Amino acid sequence: MPVQGKNKVSGKTKLEIAVYAAVCLAILALPLVLHDAFLLNKYARYLVLGILAVSLSLSWGYAGILNLGQATTFGLGSYCMAMALKLKTIPIHTGADGLPDFMVWNNVPELPWFWKPFYSMTFGVAAGIVVPMLFAALLGWFMFRGRVTGVYAAITTLAAMVVVQLLIIDQQAYTGGFNGITDLAQFDVAGFTFDAYSSSSYYLVAICLTVSLFLALAVTKSKTGLIVQAIRDQEDRVRFFGYDVALYQIFIFSVSAAIAGLAGMLYTIVMEFASPTFLGVPLSLSVVIWVAVGGRQSLLGAMLGALVVTGTQGALSESETFLDSWTLIMGLLFVLVVLFLPKGIAGAVEKLAGKFGHRRAAPVPPPQLQPQRTEAVANTRHAESLS
Amino acid sequence: MNPAPQSQLLIDRAQVSFGGFIAISDLTLGVGQGELRCLIGPNGAGKTTALDVICGKTKLSAGEVRFRDKPIHRLSEHSIARAGIGRKFQVPSVFRELSVRDNLYIGRSGQPGILANLFSFGQSGEKEEIERLAALVGLQDELETPAAFLSHGQTQWLEIALILAQNPLLILMDEPTAGMTQQETKKTAELFCRLRGKHTLIVVEHDMGFVRDIAQTISVMHQGKMLAEGTIAEIEANQAVRDAYLGSGGIGHA
Repeated sequence: MPVQGKNKVSGKTKLEIAVYAAVCLAILALPLVLHDAFLLNKYARYLVLGILAVSLSLSWGYAGILNLGQATTFGLGSYCMAMALKLKTIPIHTGADGLPDFMVWNNVPELPWFWKPFYSMTFGVAAGIVVPMLFAALLGWFMFRGRVTGVYAAITTLAAMVVVQLLIIDQQAYTGGFNGITDLAQFDVAGFTFDAYSSSSYYLVAICLTVSLFLALAVTKSKTGLIVQAIRDQEDRVRFFGYDVALYQIFIFSVSAAIAGLAGMLYTIVMEFASPTFLGVPLSLSVVIWVAVGGRQSLLGAMLGALVVTGTQGALSESETFLDSWTLIMGLLFVLVVLFLPKGIAGAVEKLAGKFGHRRAAPVPPPQLQPQRTEAVANTRHAESLS
Repeated sequence: MNPAPQSQLLIDRAQVSFGGFIAISDLTLGVGQGELRCLIGPNGAGKTTALDVICGKTKLSAGEVRFRDKPIHRLSEHSIARAGIGRKFQVPSVFRELSVRDNLYIGRSGQPGILANLFSFGQSGEKEEIERLAALVGLQDELETPAAFLSHGQTQWLEIALILAQNPLLILMDEPTAGMTQQETKKTAELFCRLRGKHTLIVVEHDMGFVRDIAQTISVMHQGKMLAEGTIAEIEANQAVRDAYLGSGGIGHA
């Protein structure tokens, strides 16, 4: 690529990068003031869900693909990590000949072929990203080549997730079934162990969050990211410029899946188990809520949305006063956001910043011709994107 | 009505049927390089369908479309676009949530691959061209405005500028002046006359004043067939065209 030196980054982008960096630094600095191992573990868990929200923002907010099965790729990543960590416990949680305990209980004679590569932790980590990516690429290939969009794409992703979840539950002998994969070793790299209840795991998650955020930001700021947003706005228009729309959709869908897979692996490290509920409908729909609350067209907003909602949820469900009513309160919160902040918290912040910032630019000219029509189109578009 | 052998674009005995309804039948149309061809005809004559067939939006049930001597009717839409055909839609179609600048940047589609574009940031090397195009259609002061806030006429012009950004050999324009004021229509006519020669243009229009301003050769379609082809004078004098479409007033007064 020829690099054009001058004016490559606009002022707005610079500000955005600064805000992202400030938030990431604040997150990274937390263990300096917080030493409670239990809380660090809890916050690390929230941050992992934040990464998951970033991945959905990429596909829903930027590409307009509402993935109701975002947890599929999250769960696949989680299982890859769990398989590798399970094999590291040999010989403690295994039978005499080195089989994981649940396989022994299920009378599996020897380790199945697809488990064997997971003896290598490097393979496990690579698989935790590549497997979700390939899954998304395959599903995307069928959907986007077949021009499945909107609600239909959402339903397809949801159905695919249910299938994968059923498969995992059904193949108990190889996957641990309903129980998932438990009693895992702790993740370690070159002799350094990441204890789930310590600042080391928190830092691991926070660094992965920072990397995912900036990686996703770079994608959205590239021309490819712009084209993806254009596809969201007017698919046909993009097609008739000579861009292969389906390929772009498959690409962004797979990148989103890779980030979700990374989040899944971290979740296993922090939670110390993998469970079929990680690929469940409740989690998947929760991600949609976090992203909607935070603002789906802002990666940082989506991430903060996850932190705010899961944090509030955690606080409410742990307090005795709201023990019975916290789900209602969460539901109300979601309804209010959808009604009054259609672009989520990020949209509201942007609006406020626009009001208080001294923008001397001429006011935006009102649409002069056929204003009703433009409005109607905008409304349908909004309805579509919500559906 | 036999197309000249040096036609850049040739639709040859094309037929399109939508579940039994014949939208186009036995349509033959040849357009030479650098020509500006106007396509007129009453509603439902198949004009838009003819453009759809060229750009791949609608597939033929019989016949063929050749562009620079290669058949293109079996190619995917993006391959046809890459071969050098640009299309402006009847309902202005731009990226409403993106700024005019980003719209134009996407229009610069000479490099359609994902990986190449993944490493392109901040309109690398395209800034001047984007600003020149914006100035060409009078949008130089709206570069940072989201396209959703443009007036209808401005939106039409933005889409025209997008096509010019793509810089195709053949430009298909479907009612480019719909919703424009007279002033705007006049400016558009001037622009089209400047494009003639550099690009081949096929323009579908109902505004006969506009057609009179820009047309060299006019093709008249009626009920999915080619009814007549010729200069303005020839078309005006053609009795079949008068009966089917123009009425007694002729072009420019219809």
